[in-house]
Amino acid sequence: MSGCCGCCAALKPRYKRLVDNIFPVNPEDGLVKNNMDKLTFYALSAPEKLDRIGQYLAQRLSRDVQRHRYGMVVIAMDALDQLLVSCHDYSLNLFVESFLKMVQKLLECDEVELQILATSSFIKFANIEEVTPSYHRRYDFFISKFSSMCHSNNNDETRKARIRTAGLKGLQGVVRKTVSDDLQVNIWEPIHMDKIVPSLLYNMHDQGFVPVDLDNHRNEEAPAFVAETVFRDLVCRASFGNIKSVLKPVLVHIDNHQLWCQATLQFVVKCFKIIMFSVQQQYAYIVIQVLMSHLDSHVRSSPDIKSSIVDVLFECVLIAAGGSIGPSVLDVFNNLVRHLRISLDSKSTDIEKRNMEKKFEEAIISTIGEFANNLPDYQKIEIMMFIMAKFPQFTSEEEFGGRMDAQLQTMLLKTLLKVATKYKTVSMANAFPPEFLHPLLRMSLLDDPGMRIIVQQILHTLIDRNDNTPKFKHVVITKDISKLGLKLQKSARQDSLFMKKNGSEFYGCLLENMQMDSNKVDNFEALYCTMALICVEMGCTEILLELIRFALELQNIAINKLSLPLTHKCAIHALTAGFFNFLAQLADVKSLVTYVSGVIEIRRQEASHLLPEVAFNRANKPSSSGTLDGSYPEVETLKDTWLFQQSQIAEILTELGHDVSRLSKPFTYRAFSSLLESDAGSSSDIQSIYLDMESKESSPVVARKRAEEVITVESLKKMLAEDSTLERDEEERRRKEILQTFQTAPFEEIVARSESKSNHFHNKLNEILELVSKHPDSPGSLRKTNRTTVPVFDIQFPELYVY
Amino acid sequence: MEDYKYLFKIVLIGDAGVGKTCLVRRFTQGLFPPGQAATIGVDFMIKTVEINGERVKLQIWDTAGQEKFRSITQSYYRAANALILVYDVCSQATFDSLPQWISDIESFAKHKVLAYLVGNKIDQINSKEVPTYIGKQWADRFEMRFLETSAKDAENVDILFYDIAVELTKDAREKDKLESDCSGFNISPNTKTINRCTACFKF
Repeated sequence: MSGCCGCCAALKPRYKRLVDNIFPVNPEDGLVKNNMDKLTFYALSAPEKLDRIGQYLAQRLSRDVQRHRYGMVVIAMDALDQLLVSCHDYSLNLFVESFLKMVQKLLECDEVELQILATSSFIKFANIEEVTPSYHRRYDFFISKFSSMCHSNNNDETRKARIRTAGLKGLQGVVRKTVSDDLQVNIWEPIHMDKIVPSLLYNMHDQGFVPVDLDNHRNEEAPAFVAETVFRDLVCRASFGNIKSVLKPVLVHIDNHQLWCQATLQFVVKCFKIIMFSVQQQYAYIVIQVLMSHLDSHVRSSPDIKSSIVDVLFECVLIAAGGSIGPSVLDVFNNLVRHLRISLDSKSTDIEKRNMEKKFEEAIISTIGEFANNLPDYQKIEIMMFIMAKFPQFTSEEEFGGRMDAQLQTMLLKTLLKVATKYKTVSMANAFPPEFLHPLLRMSLLDDPGMRIIVQQILHTLIDRNDNTPKFKHVVITKDISKLGLKLQKSARQDSLFMKKNGSEFYGCLLENMQMDSNKVDNFEALYCTMALICVEMGCTEILLELIRFALELQNIAINKLSLPLTHKCAIHALTAGFFNFLAQLADVKSLVTYVSGVIEIRRQEASHLLPEVAFNRANKPSSSGTLDGSYPEVETLKDTWLFQQSQIAEILTELGHDVSRLSKPFTYRAFSSLLESDAGSSSDIQSIYLDMESKESSPVVARKRAEEVITVESLKKMLAEDSTLERDEEERRRKEILQTFQTAPFEEIVARSESKSNHFHNKLNEILELVSKHPDSPGSLRKTNRTTVPVFDIQFPELYVY
Repeated sequence: MEDYKYLFKIVLIGDAGVGKTCLVRRFTQGLFPPGQAATIGVDFMIKTVEINGERVKLQIWDTAGQEKFRSITQSYYRAANALILVYDVCSQATFDSLPQWISDIESFAKHKVLAYLVGNKIDQINSKEVPTYIGKQWADRFEMRFLETSAKDAENVDILFYDIAVELTKDAREKDKLESDCSGFNISPNTKTINRCTACFKF
């Protein structure tokens, strides 16, 4: 053969001769170096001949492949590689076509080694940066073939790994080649992505996907490792429009291979971590969006799949941090809350399944929390208000009509708590804007004691700035509070201002909470914690007087509210004692401390059931017969010495220069629970306006005493006969009283007072109208007019009219 | 310099274990591998045949039947010139899932793709569950060609692939002819503008 070539050599064109010369007689000798240099030089000096050289080489190569002269094939590929590398960019185009043809030829043949060889050549080609655009290059076959290689199932393990690695790298090459060039095939089309992405994921997951050990070099060629690298490469190249085309096949693959189950969840999480770390930061939210919509598509799937998706979502949010939300903040939360609701609406009776659903619900809550964590603080409050709006009691939202499932309420509260824990309170006024504070406080009066605790916990986390909450978990009388190791901070002026403004609401809410029949020990403890936190955070010296007044009122409740069970009363007494003790020490008022500890000492000796040690001892359970444990007295008695006396406290405070006049005023507060009911019918937004309506009702109680006087002849006579000075004095005194009330009492209190009065009036009015409308003898005509007037007296006046 | 005139892509689909890989192996390598493991993803084979004196290269993509690889295998449908839908004559279940496959073809493959319905494993006469006429009826209903084969006994295997090759070659020739006719028109010096237009419409 070579002899024949020799004699024809003179007739051949020069490029053919040069090409022929690079092949040795014996394939084992390898490429003829000298001649290869000659060829390269020729190609460089006459680039127009490059396409001919390429064609001729390809021809030779395919002949060699057919004749199974693999040694020669290797040499030809070697030559091609060298030519590729040394060619200048602009001339490369001429050559590429025949090069790709040769690669394809090798990939088509059965010989594994040749396929691998072809792939490595292709990768070299892919690494060359081309400047000149190339128009019709098709990579369809390469993508198909490389994907197929990624799934190789060769019997020989090492070979299998080599083929797969080659396939993966080939895919990477295609991606590199096409991604930056608009003229090339669009690699992001589903037809390609549906091949590439599953191939990568399959290899990442195959063979028990071990986390890659970076120190181990042997690992680097493992398909799993290569696949991961390629996958990262792919994801980080994806732009805004393309990221979805990568994610879709990922999710489809995970669905198809049923990877959402617990056993493989780690892999899915890993996958998404890779995605999150590789994706361009500004697009991270798209990943989360896509996951959310995937969750939507799985609405009816089993809870463990859903909870896995949410788990993954959670991990992603952790990584994406600030970029996790994207443009539609409320949408994200709305969606998650909706899923929570769906899960609760369709909860199954099967215990095992229910447990899985619970897990799902918990996962959603923590994800919501994590989302919220990434929001700026002011938005967190917004989100809390948004979640609160999901409670039917507080809104007229149609979507959530009807009674809400108690479990859903609990879940929503937990969500709220989760968001609240992420909020870092700086100033109270910011943490509790009125439109947030009011509904929150009202929510603290829910019927369910468990829910009430959660609301208190929300308050704790929002009020507490110095992590003192754990120190107030139990009601105890501490001899020396410095041992608690409290972290104290000088409270800012604006906080005491906030308290001056909103304090009465807090107190009122707490007082009402205390009176709940359904309270459990935990409830009292939670309330105590809230009280203690208020002392610590709001600056107890500034609002000391108010706090003492509040504590005394607390004691009054325990004394006066007879309907409460004995245990509750004892608990309230004990709580009051604990609170006084804490307050006195915190405010550092020596005389008060002495007085308080005196009372406590007396109690300890005579009425230990009024101290936390007994009242908050969980071991004390009313025995089955209804009688109480031995530590409680048989007969309810209260001695004055056991109680904190207002007069004595007033004395102490006067000595310290406080104005104690307000201490004697009864503590009035707005009945939140009544608001709760009336609010259901109120269509107006309670937060929107605080109109002060001028009406007779707005004047305080004392002003209208005269109306009570009965006018008879006798009284008129008396009036004439009597000297009116006494009367005038009396009137003067009353006027002063009113004036003083208005001057000193906080607005809220006045409101509360007038409101309770007008509420009474309103009820009376309703009663009367009720009577009129139900009049049995009313004739037809009257009934008719009645019907027309029904709306008038059926209107529940919105609360704002009561002012 | 090309060593073939036409190149056709053939994709084999069907449930797992109906013998797709064996059919391909029988055709390309002439052997029947006993205990063939399940295909993963997609396998690739090539075979050049001669049709009427012209070399025709067949790229055969052998897909995995398992459900979990469905998404990757479906992505191969679109490029296919011919689809071979295989079922196992000894398994009613594989026949029952044909409607699903048909709808997959409709949604993922090219319109008017050449489709072949193949009942494999006819060597196991005793355990045959799907009668020939049922398969035939079914194929007719969906305008598919129909053949029963045995990869083990090499029965009808070559016929199947040759038939596909012939059919595809015929189509390709017609297309070529149309194209050359068209270009003939354009080259003709007498052609007027209006002629070119009519030619285009005809095309």
